Amino acid sequence: MSGQRVDVKVVMLGKESVGKTSLVERYVHHRFLQGPYQNTIGAAFVAKTMYVEGRSLTLGIWDTAGSERYEAMSRIYYRGAKAAIVCYDLTDASSFERVKFWVNELQNFEEHCRIYICGTKSDLLENDKSLRQVDFHDVQDYAEEIKAHVCETSSKTGQSVDELFQKVAEDYVNFNSMQGPTEAKGVDLNQKQNSTLYSCCHH
Amino acid sequence: MSQSEATISTGTLSLPENQDSQRSASPAPTLIQGTEPGASQDEAMFVHAQSYEDLTGEEEGAVPGSPGVEGAVESSSMEQISEDFSKLSTKLSSSDQETQNSEVRTDLGRRESIRSTGQEENEEGGLRALEAWYNHQKHVFVLSEAGKPIYSRYHSEEALSSISGVMMALVSFLETEKNAIRSIHADAYKVVFVRRSPLVLVSVSHTRQSEQEIAQELLYVYYQILSLLTGTQLHHLFQQRPSYDLRRLLSGSERITDSLLDLMDIDPSFLLGAVRCLPIVSGARDASSSCLQQAKAKSLVFSILMSRNQLISLVRRKEHYLHHIDLHLLFNLVTSSSSFKEGEAWTPVCLPKFNSSGFFHAHISYLSHDPELCLLLISTDREDFFTVSDCKRRIVERMEKRGCWGSLREALRSPFYSVAQVDIPELRHFLYKSKSSGLFTCPAMDVPYDTDEERRRLLALYQYLHSKAHCSSHHLTTIYHMGTNENILTWVTDAFELYVCFSPLATKSIATTGVSRLLRWIRKEEDRLFILSSPTY
Ligand SMILES: Nc1nc2c(ncn2[C@@H]2O[C@H](COP(=O)(O)OP(=O)(O)O)[C@@H](O)[C@H]2O)c(=O)[nH]1
Ligand SMILES: [Mg+2]
Repeated sequence: MSGQRVDVKVVMLGKESVGKTSLVERYVHHRFLQGPYQNTIGAAFVAKTMYVEGRSLTLGIWDTAGSERYEAMSRIYYRGAKAAIVCYDLTDASSFERVKFWVNELQNFEEHCRIYICGTKSDLLENDKSLRQVDFHDVQDYAEEIKAHVCETSSKTGQSVDELFQKVAEDYVNFNSMQGPTEAKGVDLNQKQNSTLYSCCHH
Repeated sequence: MSQSEATISTGTLSLPENQDSQRSASPAPTLIQGTEPGASQDEAMFVHAQSYEDLTGEEEGAVPGSPGVEGAVESSSMEQISEDFSKLSTKLSSSDQETQNSEVRTDLGRRESIRSTGQEENEEGGLRALEAWYNHQKHVFVLSEAGKPIYSRYHSEEALSSISGVMMALVSFLETEKNAIRSIHADAYKVVFVRRSPLVLVSVSHTRQSEQEIAQELLYVYYQILSLLTGTQLHHLFQQRPSYDLRRLLSGSERITDSLLDLMDIDPSFLLGAVRCLPIVSGARDASSSCLQQAKAKSLVFSILMSRNQLISLVRRKEHYLHHIDLHLLFNLVTSSSSFKEGEAWTPVCLPKFNSSGFFHAHISYLSHDPELCLLLISTDREDFFTVSDCKRRIVERMEKRGCWGSLREALRSPFYSVAQVDIPELRHFLYKSKSSGLFTCPAMDVPYDTDEERRRLLALYQYLHSKAHCSSHHLTTIYHMGTNENILTWVTDAFELYVCFSPLATKSIATTGVSRLLRWIRKEEDRLFILSSPTY
């Protein structure tokens, strides 16, 4: 539902077809839709209210397409995001290379955005470990370096999906209560305006 | 096939004269534009457009008289082209190499043997794929001017890259002017080229469609690509690097273009250059329009309520008119993808006929899934998602408060009326376009047009008659086509276009009376079948 207050902006990033839409679908609608791949066009927004430590919190989730076509415009989707879930497909090494691209973007433009690196489709590895193309420890080393959280999920079975979004919400609450006053003053647009005003008067 | 046609250049059809000049009950052939059934009572909703205007329009820089002129190339060149074309077809068939000699029936109507070298297991599938490739009725390719493949309907990328050289050779051979349209006829095939720098669009087909119609379809594909990239970006990319590979940027969009081409094969909207409205009682339409109208925002340009390629309401900013091509592209975008069904989509979209230099942002959401009801809010500001999303919330709230749902749902459940409602002997189907409003109406395709094959055949007939009617320079054209399966009366005036399909039993006089009764019926029903006002915010 729109028009409602959104507390936390969360953005899904990653190469096409790694499973971003499925992850949101599983989390929001508790289902997994099989069938031919339907790539996301532009981006889709969905709001979901959850409870963290007895407090209700609304996540505004932006599911992006991940296509190169609108790469230049992708900033509108992640601007101001408090959390980014950057996905790669555990069975596709090239998708992990794209993770690094998005992490760079975020580090350059959204330094306050917390990063969650998510390996998807873990169910595919259950029967056949040889399908894994991205080593867990490599990801962990990388995540440590960039101070990101890591997880492996399956939208098909639901494994670790709720936990991931729960973690996003909890981190926000904890980070927020720690930051408290600074966060409240967050909008520095006004500040700037005031100071300009001040300098104007001064002259 | 025994068919005969009579082209009568002026109103030989004897229709009851009518003195009431304003909105007459049965329009006379001399009816002026703006008074025909379905004409908008205030301003029009769409930019006024003529058939093939893009093909002949000055603005696009086409050479007058050049579009699709048969035999535009000298006969000596024609031989050369035929030779090239047979080379091209062998190229096509050898693109997939197999181990054994096998026969493949090609669409070219002859048998060709293929020598192949592949592995056993691939062979069957490969051959089947190849055969399927040939059996498609209309292939469409997009190439860059440097000959790089960009798009291929049916996704035969390999075939595309192996023939693109030949295609380019043909194009450069044929090329005289930019934006020109050229065609070649070989065997049962028509090859039509449209060049819109930096792209070259090619159609290889066997249909009865005219070059202009095929070229018009190719232009739709061109506009589709613009709507994904904007014209500015497209030109910029190729200016910087003429050998640019556009496929990467278009990846994921092939489905949209595929769906557009499939839609053009079955939906007369494209042929008529008009928008189909969902029939709905006018009170309900007005109510939903006013819900759209009241939820305005600074950045909103168009608010559109639609269902399965049919328009329900359109509210626009004053002074801004949508072009039917842009609306067709939006319709196709929505219907080609199930990705809009959840949540609220916010996607860049260029409306090439409105402005090809920039992106709008479209807010797309389904208000109902069964029956389908979709809302499109077109905004100029990509940062304005939450404002636009709030407009959507207000629209939904207001529609609930006003109790719009009941009648909307009812209309959505029966999006097509039956031709039996019109109650005219031997009448089977018709297309009626009001020229001034750019809207058209038609009944459901009932028996005997209830199979895909028959539907396509009827549409092909309409296409054929449409091109006949439009190649004449007369303002007033009537064509009576008598076939084994049906008789079709075509009537094109300054104010409307009408194609009426009767059973083969209908005599010309039955048809003539039928048509005037049909026009009276459309007039009587016009506020349900058409959108007669064009609300602005
Ligand atoms: N086996 C399996 N397949 C998945 C999973 N998540 C997504 N997929 C499939 O991967 C494809 C791409 O998924 P989608 O969510 O649309 O990817 P997106 O482009 O990143 O949004 C689809 O065919 C999904 O069915 C998963 O957890 N397990
Ligand atoms: Mg997606």
